[in-house]
Amino acid sequence: MKVACQKWLSYVAGPTSRVVLSVVEKAPLKVMSTLALAASCALAGVAFAQDDFAAFDRSMATFDPGGKYLTKPIERALPGLSINGTITHWSDYLVHDDEDIGFRDRDYRGLQMQTLVEIGASYRFSPNLELTSINHLMYDSVYDVDGGDGLYAKRVDDSYYKYNTFDRIARELYVSYRTSKLDVVLGKQQIAWGKMDGQFIDAINSMDFRESVQLEAADYEVRRLPMWMANLTYFFDDVSLNVLWIPDFEANVNPAYGSAWQSPLLPPGDENARNNDALLNNRSNAAGDRVLQTKRPDWKHPSDHQIAARLDIASGALTWGLVYYYAWERDASPFVTGRFTDGSGDLLIITPEHERLHHFGATSDYAWVAKNVPLIGTLPMVFRAEALYTKDANFVDYRNLAAVRSGGSGNGISEHDTLRAALAFEFAFPSKISVIFQPSFYYTFDWHEGLGVGYGGAIGDEWNFAPVFFISRPVQRTRDRLMLSATITPYLSGSNKDYQGTKTKLMASYEISPFINGSLIYTDYHGGDDDGLFGQFHQYDNIGVELQYEF
Amino acid sequence: MNSNCSIIFIRALSAGALFGLLLVSGLASGEAESPGAQSWRTLDQLTPWERERVDLRTNTPRDKKVPYLPAEPFPFTAPYTAEEMGFRAMTFTHTARWSHVMADAFGTITKEGYLTQGVTVAMIDQMDSPNAASQIAKKPGEAYSRHMYYYTYPPKSDGVQEMWVLRRTGLESPAKLDYFAYTPSLRRVRRQPPPRRETPFPGVAQSFDDILGLEAWEFDWRLIGADVLHETVRFPTNRKTITLAEPNGRFYDVATDSIKLMQERYPFYKKDDGVNCFVVVGTPKQDWLPDFKVSKVIYWLDQYYFYPLRIERFDEEGKLKMIEVRIAQQENKALPNGEGFASNLVVYFDAELDLISYSLHDAHLMQEWAEEDLAAFTPDFMRRRWLKYPQQSQSMVNSPEEYYLRPSLFPERFPSERSMTVSPVIAARIAAQNKAGHLVFGSVEKKDNSEAP
Repeated sequence: MKVACQKWLSYVAGPTSRVVLSVVEKAPLKVMSTLALAASCALAGVAFAQDDFAAFDRSMATFDPGGKYLTKPIERALPGLSINGTITHWSDYLVHDDEDIGFRDRDYRGLQMQTLVEIGASYRFSPNLELTSINHLMYDSVYDVDGGDGLYAKRVDDSYYKYNTFDRIARELYVSYRTSKLDVVLGKQQIAWGKMDGQFIDAINSMDFRESVQLEAADYEVRRLPMWMANLTYFFDDVSLNVLWIPDFEANVNPAYGSAWQSPLLPPGDENARNNDALLNNRSNAAGDRVLQTKRPDWKHPSDHQIAARLDIASGALTWGLVYYYAWERDASPFVTGRFTDGSGDLLIITPEHERLHHFGATSDYAWVAKNVPLIGTLPMVFRAEALYTKDANFVDYRNLAAVRSGGSGNGISEHDTLRAALAFEFAFPSKISVIFQPSFYYTFDWHEGLGVGYGGAIGDEWNFAPVFFISRPVQRTRDRLMLSATITPYLSGSNKDYQGTKTKLMASYEISPFINGSLIYTDYHGGDDDGLFGQFHQYDNIGVELQYEF
Repeated sequence: MNSNCSIIFIRALSAGALFGLLLVSGLASGEAESPGAQSWRTLDQLTPWERERVDLRTNTPRDKKVPYLPAEPFPFTAPYTAEEMGFRAMTFTHTARWSHVMADAFGTITKEGYLTQGVTVAMIDQMDSPNAASQIAKKPGEAYSRHMYYYTYPPKSDGVQEMWVLRRTGLESPAKLDYFAYTPSLRRVRRQPPPRRETPFPGVAQSFDDILGLEAWEFDWRLIGADVLHETVRFPTNRKTITLAEPNGRFYDVATDSIKLMQERYPFYKKDDGVNCFVVVGTPKQDWLPDFKVSKVIYWLDQYYFYPLRIERFDEEGKLKMIEVRIAQQENKALPNGEGFASNLVVYFDAELDLISYSLHDAHLMQEWAEEDLAAFTPDFMRRRWLKYPQQSQSMVNSPEEYYLRPSLFPERFPSERSMTVSPVIAARIAAQNKAGHLVFGSVEKKDNSEAP
């Protein structure tokens, strides 16, 4: 049993588990064997050391060194100051062998081995006035430990590897002044609008998308990129009006060359990319075109500032709201602004530029209880709806780009309105089973073949439809400390492709103590063509371990 | 004197008169029990005073407009039917029925001794009268109270918020509340499905119904006798004091063996500090609660205010599911008829899972919300993450061994109504705790014992 337990641990730990992997070929079997071994270990624990484990469990329940020796003594010494901290470690490991996939030299197994320390402090000057500071320290040891040649993103941007700049470390810093009816928050902050899983009207801040398709709603809190802004809210009886004035701007961070989740569809291959400094520093692209410096909004120009407003109304079982956001496109559009010739032929001059966008959104939810549902009886449920209409989003127009490359006119960019919307139905079944069904829809107006990706629109097609299904249930025998959940996201598409693959996430979370939580996560990508949203990640099924201590 | 003041004055006078009357009669029946004497009495053993106070009819006149309500207006006058006692008990929900702020310290312990605790600051807006009258008088679906909860401990819950809008139920309006939650990690206010009423909160013993209270019209009520309670919540012998907080935040220590069932301001204690109770049974009406997972509830109601000091819940098969025991305190002295009593400390014992939870209401601060304060009682207020009243509690348990004991089962009382059998292992743990004076963890199981005192 000891050997089996060690094998299971080494399997979870990742690269050292090759022996087990050679025996167990199929991913589902791997998961089952993992669970079986875990169960065996658990049974062994029951048989041999029930009382010892219970004693350990009891001691863990009050194990909080950070609170006992750090936050509480400081808070006692400085009344008005409150401090909290979180240490989180994520490790994700591919279950597939090394393999070149598309343009990627995927010789690594670790997708991330990130440790994030968050220290938050707030000082209350008076019941109405408070200063808050939230700081992040991050180190991703996968770039040191894994040793794969395919992981070289820290040469592109150090923030993939560690946070060592003021911008990244001082994550949020703001002063808040509150009265019963008015809220004024000034400083660097993040805003989360919306109620859905996924981003619909949650459009204010940019995002660090380093995890690409594996970025989950639960990660947004640490992946949003905060901005300096003034945030005012006025509360009427059942109505609130929120206005944002945002002089600052942050662009999205996307998976760069040499990062674990860089798309296999993106040329050139890693063998060329990793030694191409011009490409890595965004002075050139895969075609060899010259890329000029990105034109960014400038906070010193008031006309470059962003403005947003949100109105929320609660009326009995119904709540609804409207939003508007005069924003900048988060990803710069690569405008063709000229051409030149060198030894390799005619090439283009590209000027990346962020463009203005108008976002119009709506959100609503409604709750009711259905009676006399067969087999269930009463069934409480909630309905949510959310939509964002974006005017004049920029798409790379590859047809036009090809024409320009062969001497035609144009700038390689095409403007289209987009719509992203979702409905969500959440049910509370007996035995604490929670089910959410969330059909999500993305549409690009005036779509045509050859369009790339634009804000809010469908990916690689005219429309996408993702009926997300989520189910979770706590295990009562563990006093709900063990929570099992599954999320299935099929990605349907039209009118060009039919299906872009399905992502399935299975998760077991366990409350190790009131302060420590652990999760085991298996994420599977299957179906769809190799150029589909999930299809391109066929060989990226992975097992993740997450540990979090909060004090 | 305006009309409202007049009503309050008259109610206070009549309450005072009632108090005097009851005090005399209470003293008459307030002799101490001799040690070992049977404390419980069936209907035919009620005292003359008790017989005068109760109305044993089950078929009383109905309200003309709402036939599932008694014709006599709340809060009724003596003699009281079992149904009327059920309605009176509605006033005493887990959370007091007047506007206030308090720190709610809560915890749960498993049979292995795994202890979790937390603190939430509650802001309550009682929208109408500070008793069950407004809830009874409202139309089905109408709101009668709004609760905001701001969790401050443990750290992982810090900043989690909930808003409950409590609604009166009706046959066609089964939803008991609107439920919104704010999660700091998502920074989103989300409407949640109304919770399943009899299903416990995650990881604890108590359900939403235990917190919100039952609505008397959903049950058939009958009186089964009287009893004297001398204990409800049981402190361990190794916890000599408990630290409580005043509304202004000042902390003070109280000896645990000095805490009485309804604290010092209750005037009707027997000489041995026992509390005379009526014992009533509520059975869910099938047309109201067709798939309710509870077959009956049994209440021990103090005989003067009808405050529920002990509540038992039985599952669909009639087996004991839950025992709730309370210590109450008069927090609002302005209210008549004992309506100012509120739960101070409640212990819930899940007899199937052997799970013990508690909830202690601390730093109780009465409030009259100004018009502009009411903006705080909207879902979007939670996005502000503003802990407006930083009430604190130091009443949490220091170690698993100092946790509250499982309540007594009293299996000998009303045996024909109460199936108090627990599993042999739970019975062994109860016996061990009773012997040690505190919870005992580890191997205490005996296989030959199916009942415990």
